[in-house]
Amino acid sequence: MLFNTTQFFIFLPVVLALFYTSPQRFRRYILLAASYFFYACWNYKFIALLLTLTAIDYTAGIWLEKVAPGPRKKALLILSLSANLGFLGFFKYYNFLASNLALLLRKPQHAFFLDIVLPLGISFHTFQSMSYVVDVYRGQQKAVRSPIDYALFICFFPQLVAGPIVRARTFFRDLFNWRPPSADDVSTGIFLLTLGLTKKMAFADQFAKVANRYFSDVAGNPGMATAWSGVLAFGLQIYFDFSGYTDMAIGMAKLFGFHFPVNFRRPYLASSITDFWRRWHISLSSWLRDYLYIPLGGNRHGQWMTYRNLALTMLLGGLWHGASWNFAIWGGYHGALLSVERVFRGDRPMREEWSWLYPVKAVLTFGLVLIGWVFFRAADLPQSLQILGQMFSRPGGHTLLQHWHVGLALVALALAVVEEKFEWFEWVIQAPAWAYAAALAAMFLCVEIFGVIDASIPFIYFQF
Amino acid sequence: MPALPPVRIPGTSLQKGRGLALLVAFLGLFALDGLLFRTPFYPSIVQMDSSTGAFELTLRREQQAQTRNGDNLVVTLGDSRFAYSPRLANQVTAQTGYVFRHAGVAGTDVRSWYYMLRDLDPTARRYRAVVFGVTDYDDEDEFFTPDDDIRALHYAIARLRWSDVLEFALSFHSRNVQWEALRGASLKGIVYQNDLLAFLAKPAERIRRVRIERRDFDKWTYDYLETPRSMAGLQIDWKAWKVTFPPGLDQDQQDTVNGDLMRAPAPQTGRVAAFRRAWYGRILDRYRGSRTKIIFVRLPRGPIPRPAGLVRKKSATIREFASLPNVLLCDEHAFDSLEHPELFRDGMHLNRAGVAQFSPMLAEDISRMLGSAAR
Repeated sequence: MLFNTTQFFIFLPVVLALFYTSPQRFRRYILLAASYFFYACWNYKFIALLLTLTAIDYTAGIWLEKVAPGPRKKALLILSLSANLGFLGFFKYYNFLASNLALLLRKPQHAFFLDIVLPLGISFHTFQSMSYVVDVYRGQQKAVRSPIDYALFICFFPQLVAGPIVRARTFFRDLFNWRPPSADDVSTGIFLLTLGLTKKMAFADQFAKVANRYFSDVAGNPGMATAWSGVLAFGLQIYFDFSGYTDMAIGMAKLFGFHFPVNFRRPYLASSITDFWRRWHISLSSWLRDYLYIPLGGNRHGQWMTYRNLALTMLLGGLWHGASWNFAIWGGYHGALLSVERVFRGDRPMREEWSWLYPVKAVLTFGLVLIGWVFFRAADLPQSLQILGQMFSRPGGHTLLQHWHVGLALVALALAVVEEKFEWFEWVIQAPAWAYAAALAAMFLCVEIFGVIDASIPFIYFQF
Repeated sequence: MPALPPVRIPGTSLQKGRGLALLVAFLGLFALDGLLFRTPFYPSIVQMDSSTGAFELTLRREQQAQTRNGDNLVVTLGDSRFAYSPRLANQVTAQTGYVFRHAGVAGTDVRSWYYMLRDLDPTARRYRAVVFGVTDYDDEDEFFTPDDDIRALHYAIARLRWSDVLEFALSFHSRNVQWEALRGASLKGIVYQNDLLAFLAKPAERIRRVRIERRDFDKWTYDYLETPRSMAGLQIDWKAWKVTFPPGLDQDQQDTVNGDLMRAPAPQTGRVAAFRRAWYGRILDRYRGSRTKIIFVRLPRGPIPRPAGLVRKKSATIREFASLPNVLLCDEHAFDSLEHPELFRDGMHLNRAGVAQFSPMLAEDISRMLGSAAR
């Protein structure tokens, strides 16, 4: 059940209605049942896996709180993390490792392959679960006593399959002190739900058509302009797709009285790669910072260790997205860029002020990000190199984007710049009813006219 | 647990306001859709080689033809199989007194013809006869089910009114098609989407093309000459269920023979009969008490017609209609003489020679059935 399907828009109001018409003590059960139902719509067999991971970390949390600091506590933590990483590794990375092993042993590529289906959202909920266990270990989070509450934290349907990765303290703060959503929450929730749907159906899916056309036949679409337009289309697709999903998730959560953190902050307006990662998939980058980069030593052990930690964090962040060398290269590429920026910037804090140079920096950053997307989207390394070869070849080819694609992109850019400078979304959310209704109607019309309606294109991050 | 942030007391009135705003936004969507797609503007710039474009240009052409011609107009409706030339049919106007016009559009069915006729003949009195070309007076179900043919939505979209939405959607058989029809008939932008995006890609070129098409469509279609290629040499052994194609036939020609003439008999579910009863019934209701005759013509069926008895047909809706006062059935075998490979361009359409023979025959037969043109 995708967020952009008719079934979901029946499911959501039904769950909202059940939630608000039930006595408060039953509401978490309703949300839990709805979340498992939502997950089961994709593949009910993996509910068992979800329950197993939930049970492991729920138990680990309680034990970790009871055990005094020392080797036993550490062993418990390692046990829990191993279970999480074991499941994640098996489902996500087994075949990748198997094919590389086969290559090493000069065996056929599929010699050790297993027919594994990747459970939906496993990368997201294991990270969420691991952060809880680590926080309990560190004493930053009290262990949750109710298995129902913990299960809901792991499988709450708005963010179950593609985030944002919510920290336990954020979720349980809302759950344990649940209040009906405020007027602002309702207003923001409806707005974000509509905005997310618009981003996904009218923008992401239209750019997806162009990107899919290009990446499915790179050899048949030669030329520099063709390559750049195909990669640009993917860059826009992935942004609108993922941020659209996140907007919907945050909006839905607000309607249920939960407050998820912002996950995207106009990343393509970033003035540097460092800035980009402060704006793109913020819940993942902050997770990587708190649970990987800082434990690795962060910037506390000198320049070279900082560069190593950055590169390693980004490399693993890349691999988190998928089991292929391309994702590793993509992560490594960003790690290298972050390190290079760090070399030039030194320890000075990063400045994001707008100046005449800002647009130049933003365009340059966007260009570097686009180059990275080649590795992210291409089928394999040879295809990535072929595309990069085209992008930096002599001018030629033709753009795959129509005038109206460019129009859509420019409208989005203008809205992003205005939001960056004047926070117009916030104004609309607080605006008089007529202005608020007009904004919603405009988005609905956009979905009607530009939305890809009959071909349901899955969210990109569902595969992670 | 960390300290709780202050929680705002819900502002009930604003919540209600937002709920109302959502409702207003939905109404606004329908209003904007109506403004863009339910006014004459957008249908007038739809590209001709789309279902809607062909349908709208045909309607416009026939509306204009009404002003140029007198009272003795006969309009024919059908799909691409109703391949006759009004120009050739009108060569006998001097003898018959009737002027033939064709409002048929390739790919359409009676559901679309209903909406075409409703706007072409709002008073149900403009024509002396409305002639429907059908392939069979009996009802035969095929694997293709016309009651679920969503193309009707795309042909008739510009003709659908608010009051049609529910009835039109429910006229389809399966739930998912009903939903698609309901959605499209309510929010026409969804149906026009591909056309609109093509327009936005090259707006100036579209406007230029539309201008030319609107100017010349009548001439192009009235003077259209069917292809001379034929199926001469085609042989079918019905006992062995084997077809022998003459050399030189292209894949399309062979496909129409395999797909139409050599099609396997389908289970007789009665869906075609129900579909015909529903939509011809609605048309007949509109013309009840009118001076306009409703005439059914069985078209030449193919270069080698399928033998009778392949399927046990359970009903004959068109024959049942013949009992109504203003309904006439053309002799079923009137055009059997045209069912020869030499007169067909593929497995179902007449070629130039076939059209040349069929057109005056049709005009004479219909005129004979109508009697004197003088009133």
